[in-house]
Amino acid sequence: MAEIDIHAPGVEMVKSLCYFCHANCGVLAYVKDGDVIKIEGDPDYSNQGGLCCRGTSALLHLNHPARVNHVLKRVGEKGEGKWEQIPYDQAIQEVADKLNQIKAESGAEAVASAGGTTRTDDWARRRFLNQFGTPNGFHNALLCWIPTFMAETCVSGWSPFETDLGAARCLILWGMNPGASTLPGMHGYTDLQMNGMKIIVVDPRYSETASKADLWLPLRPGSDAALALAMLHVILYEGLGNGEFIGQWCSGFEELMGHMVDYSPEWAAPITWLEPEQIRTAARMYATNTPGCIQWGCTWDQIGRASTTGSHAIALLRAVTGNLDVPGGDGMPGPAINFVTDEEMELNELLPEEQKAKQISRFKLTSWPGYSIISQTARRQWGKTLPTEWFCEAHGPSVFKAILTGDPYQVRALICNATNPVNSYGDAKMTLEALKKVEFLVTVEYWMTPTALFSDYVFPAAGALERPTIVTHYGATDSLMGGSRAIQPKYDRHTDMTFWRKLGLACGQDPANWPWETEEEAYYHIMEPLGLPISNYDEFVSNVRMYYPPLHQKKFEAHGGFWTPSGKVELNSTIMQELGFPGMPTYIGTIENPIDTPELLDEYPMVLTTGGGFMPYHHSEHFQMQAIRYLYPDPYFSIHPDAAEKYHISQGDWCWIETRRGRIKMRADVQQEVDPRVIFCPRGWWFPERDGSADLDNPFGCLESNVNTLTSVDAEHCDPMGGSWANRGLLCKVYRVHDADNEFTAKDAQFSMPGSSNVPGITVMPSDQPLAREPIPFEKPQPTREVPEGFEWCWQNDALYQKGTEFRLDESGWLIDPKDQSYVDAHTGWVYVAAEEVLLDKETGKKYTMERVEIPYLAGVRGYPGMEQAPFEVPEHLRWNVEAGYAMLPDRQLVYDPNSGWMLDPDTGAYHDAYYGYKYDAATNTLLDENTGKRFTMDYQPVVE
Amino acid sequence: MRHHYWEWPIATYLFLGGLGGGIFALTAILQFFVFPGITMVSEVLAWPCFLAIVFCGLGCVLLVGELGQPLVFYRAFIKNTSVICWGARVLSVCMIFGFIWFLSYIPWDWFSGIAGFLAIFRDFCLALAGLGGACVVLYTGIFLSSLKAHSFWATPALPVLFTISALSTACACITISIGWWPAELTLNTLIVAEVIHELLHEIDVILVVCELVVLLVMVLSFLGAGNVTANKVAHRWVNGSWAALFWVGMIGLGLVLPEILYVFAGGTLASSVVAPVLVLAGGCLLRFLVVYSDERAPLPGEDLFYEKLPDNKAPFIHKWTYGKNIF
Amino acid sequence: MTRYVMVIDQRRCIGCRSCTVACRTWNDLPLDIVYNPVLTEGVQGEWPNVRRNWLPTLCMHCEKPACVPCCPTGASRKDDDGTVWIKYDQCMACKACVNACPYGMRQQSHLRPRLHQYIQKCTFCRDKRQMDPSAQPYCVLTCHQKARVFGDLDDPNSEVSKLINGAETFRLMEDLGTGPQIYFIPDLGGTAQ
Repeated sequence: MAEIDIHAPGVEMVKSLCYFCHANCGVLAYVKDGDVIKIEGDPDYSNQGGLCCRGTSALLHLNHPARVNHVLKRVGEKGEGKWEQIPYDQAIQEVADKLNQIKAESGAEAVASAGGTTRTDDWARRRFLNQFGTPNGFHNALLCWIPTFMAETCVSGWSPFETDLGAARCLILWGMNPGASTLPGMHGYTDLQMNGMKIIVVDPRYSETASKADLWLPLRPGSDAALALAMLHVILYEGLGNGEFIGQWCSGFEELMGHMVDYSPEWAAPITWLEPEQIRTAARMYATNTPGCIQWGCTWDQIGRASTTGSHAIALLRAVTGNLDVPGGDGMPGPAINFVTDEEMELNELLPEEQKAKQISRFKLTSWPGYSIISQTARRQWGKTLPTEWFCEAHGPSVFKAILTGDPYQVRALICNATNPVNSYGDAKMTLEALKKVEFLVTVEYWMTPTALFSDYVFPAAGALERPTIVTHYGATDSLMGGSRAIQPKYDRHTDMTFWRKLGLACGQDPANWPWETEEEAYYHIMEPLGLPISNYDEFVSNVRMYYPPLHQKKFEAHGGFWTPSGKVELNSTIMQELGFPGMPTYIGTIENPIDTPELLDEYPMVLTTGGGFMPYHHSEHFQMQAIRYLYPDPYFSIHPDAAEKYHISQGDWCWIETRRGRIKMRADVQQEVDPRVIFCPRGWWFPERDGSADLDNPFGCLESNVNTLTSVDAEHCDPMGGSWANRGLLCKVYRVHDADNEFTAKDAQFSMPGSSNVPGITVMPSDQPLAREPIPFEKPQPTREVPEGFEWCWQNDALYQKGTEFRLDESGWLIDPKDQSYVDAHTGWVYVAAEEVLLDKETGKKYTMERVEIPYLAGVRGYPGMEQAPFEVPEHLRWNVEAGYAMLPDRQLVYDPNSGWMLDPDTGAYHDAYYGYKYDAATNTLLDENTGKRFTMDYQPVVE
Repeated sequence: MRHHYWEWPIATYLFLGGLGGGIFALTAILQFFVFPGITMVSEVLAWPCFLAIVFCGLGCVLLVGELGQPLVFYRAFIKNTSVICWGARVLSVCMIFGFIWFLSYIPWDWFSGIAGFLAIFRDFCLALAGLGGACVVLYTGIFLSSLKAHSFWATPALPVLFTISALSTACACITISIGWWPAELTLNTLIVAEVIHELLHEIDVILVVCELVVLLVMVLSFLGAGNVTANKVAHRWVNGSWAALFWVGMIGLGLVLPEILYVFAGGTLASSVVAPVLVLAGGCLLRFLVVYSDERAPLPGEDLFYEKLPDNKAPFIHKWTYGKNIF
Repeated sequence: MTRYVMVIDQRRCIGCRSCTVACRTWNDLPLDIVYNPVLTEGVQGEWPNVRRNWLPTLCMHCEKPACVPCCPTGASRKDDDGTVWIKYDQCMACKACVNACPYGMRQQSHLRPRLHQYIQKCTFCRDKRQMDPSAQPYCVLTCHQKARVFGDLDDPNSEVSKLINGAETFRLMEDLGTGPQIYFIPDLGGTAQ
């Protein structure tokens, strides 16, 4: 009860970062005797001292009695909940041996890994997987930004995800609810709004953020793509675009005009439930109040089949209004040129091409086929590229299907790192089945989750306060922020990097590829190129904390174009075409809707939307945190009073929510938060307080109130480009739980494949399921000119790029390094340094003449061996040594430095005067005659001792 | 917004306190003002007063037991501004002096010395006990009506109602317990007891009518006007979920029926035993009804907020204890 | 003189309940004690012309608190700076104050042992301010939206003075004459659809 005195002796303050969502707020941790005694929000960080429900609970999380603190090895049957605690390193070796055995028997690709949102970098996992040789790592990336990022990168060369709201006149928060998800952002939006900025919120729910909006568009869940297309139509056909920008920086405008002709507001109205005039108003408001921002929201990636179509259309909205990378518009940071990117930490070059081809995903945009093209373009344009973690991953649900069906091949082992896929991936009943079935399951976890319950080994994970955190937006931006580790991990908990490193070494990976023992060492390596006055990572956090590169806007002007293959903003994306997708957004409906599937309406009249973030939980986390749970003990779904009346539902009633795929139980929150035709369900629910082993059909109640019991991940229900599946816009029905029908049983969530089938079990193999859209054949144009050996021709801009480096071959015969536009020698890779007229080998630091002859340096002074005359003025008493190329004193081996006018001792680097060769003593500012020991002033006057 | 902080012990305590205080107040009035100089009055009322002490004592036990920290109940006497504090004081005065007064009537031989000594202070003790009792009677109503947060309580009618009810129940209690031990069974005592019995009977006939009037005025005025919260409560009483309890239990069995028995069945067991018992039950029911009508005007959204909170038995509350790690 | 008040800006509050959790976590409250519930009547109006406000609350630290004079033990008290608080070691949990408070801001935990009860309520983080007089209550510090502002109303330069003088404010149940010291700035703007 007593207040904790943070000023007491022995209490140390550590600048840490919160780890409970992606906002990574600043946290001050007060540490005494190796334990955190108190935390507070950091008032000097972007959160301005603010911490949300989750952040304030960090200490409760750290010391929670249900945390997994030691390695648990399964001793009973799977799911029985019988464990033996064994030493960490022993467990690592046992797991490594098993993985190696599976690799030897079935190939490395039989080992897959699911990752959670680690909220910091995750290159260590990819570093392990690449060395191990499996392409089958994945996160829930497809529901979260990645398809959008890739579509945007196809259009304009990088995702314009950063905002510059200070100069913006209009902000669209589209499918984004920062009022419940990123509170530091909401604070900024509110400030700006109170100063006059207009906020448009697009959300089917009257969300926290919509409550504060200037204009709110309550569209039908899942119809975002139609709305975006109609808005784009209005802007194009009303001539509201930025003609100057389009003319100078965009390509494909005419094609786009033609393509968009049918996507009128009248076309979109019945799909979106909005009036055409509302759509026009929104489009006009955005297009005429430039510069403006469209903040990205996860919704775009969660509407299923139309996900990438929607974000593609939104990317074009920004482009035609000229809001890309301009002050007040959407900022395109690009990869970090000034420090080591996540991609450079991943060792992607170690994964063989034939293994890349085995990646389990039919969705090219977000796996190796699309990543390769996008990444190659990025390397050609930016000089660096995206990480493969998140941006190039296996399709999670397809991996689970592969476990169950062996199609395309049997996945035998799964390593889950801080994720509980039952609750976070679509089709929870299929996922649960896969977790039960997989031959070898390892989890790295905080808690005993349903996933951990079926594991063979559960490794304890170190979390917030026990690890340093670095923020580079998953390697997608050029700024960097950091927080220190407050304490060493408690008990036998280890950070994820330590886990992967230990596992890698135990698997026999080259120790040289795992040079950093701690995150701090690795992070210091990452930021070393910045040249900051720091000698370790913690000093960075204490003294610098945030790094932002200079020049953050209108980079395309300096670069001479956008970072696409053609250098233009491609309104008709060539990369998309190469991948067999439409180059321009082409509408496709949600999987269940009145227009495409009217036959479902009688049975399932309501539209279900799920998946949005809601306070106080995050994903499927924090249900153990009693202080939080007390405020929100039960899952409540929102239903309009009219609909509630129709179905005889009252406030607080437990109800069944049913789709074709199963049914779940939630309590009704009857209020006008949603349209009368819609219900909104929070995601992630499970009940960690239950005994997991008591009901293995529904361990910890993980299916009972889990919206993913209702979703579908069938191939034809996924976005054919990005692969994401629908959390929004599904058809459902809702009815009150009656006494005779109040128990959730296995029948309510029966596993079937395809997911919407009435027949339990597997009736269709995954690869026999069609995709939602067949690929469009595309033939790459053939080179129009001769391509020299070692080079590749880019058809979009008719340029040649050197293979490997991806440097462009200039007409001058030099290569151009896009990172700094420097000239590079095509034969040697040495960089031309204009100031010195030399070539520099960056790897060795050695310099060469333009004739590629190595230049000797003595004490840092350049020599000109063989030159008859010194190329600079030499004091007349010095002797020019033709052979060595130096000016020297006649009797001493001192080298003359023409820049400073001093002589340098090659052995010690000490300065000597150029006339007598006396040694300079900086401490007394005198000259010392080393032969006699006499001292002289700088005017050669003897110093009287 | 229901407040679940005071429940049956407090209701019972208010009933018992009012009853006990009322008995002492009536005894003092009868002894000093109605029959001054007739010492037999006190004698026949000694047993009812003993019951009053028991009632008050029981009430105190309930009250103290209801405290979050019963062992430090003595803290209740500290602060002058508090109604509870004065309640505790007057209740103590009533009980202590009433008890001394009662001791002086104990006829046991071995006790005669002490009783004889205490008899010297009889008038003084009864005066204080009666005064204390009267204060207790008033206090039980003021106790609730001073809590302005509860609009159904915060009415001047409530102390009036509780006072009438307390005196009424006191009358009823006295009429069925008058003249027992330690009063000696003599003709004189029987006559005195019968006179008092008749008198109190008459008084109770009036009090019950008064109580009925005040109760209806209070409840119906809340029903007509009153603020939203009190109005809601009044509706619950009159035509809501408590209507049967109120009309049949409180009004019918607790007030009207005993009144009818009092008036029309004079001299029978129905009038002398059944009616008083009904009055006592009605008085008790009244305290329950009132104490459980502790609605507070909710802040906007307060109902919704508390509705969603779990009850204290929710499994997640008890599943984990910090410091006791599972894995 | 110092007169501590809190200004709560409904224009900024988005109902995240961080203040509630921060308070109960840092003040180490039993689970069933909530000092500062964030209330809302939910979404009001006719779809889609709706609006919603949040009402973050806490002890009103009244000028004339109903809960102080009714306390028989003297545990419930008021500081010169306006802070109303409870001296726990004098409380016996008679609940008079709980029933006296018109705002329902005093509570008793049912998760504590039966015989070790006392009444609890917000104290404007009095413990913390005693340790560091410039400290702010936890609910204020943790609020991302800066919807809660704490300060001295007798100081004309304090933020609370400026806010109260610069915007329309209201207080809860003023007609009860308790003089609540929590000022709310209402959200008068609406959502255009």
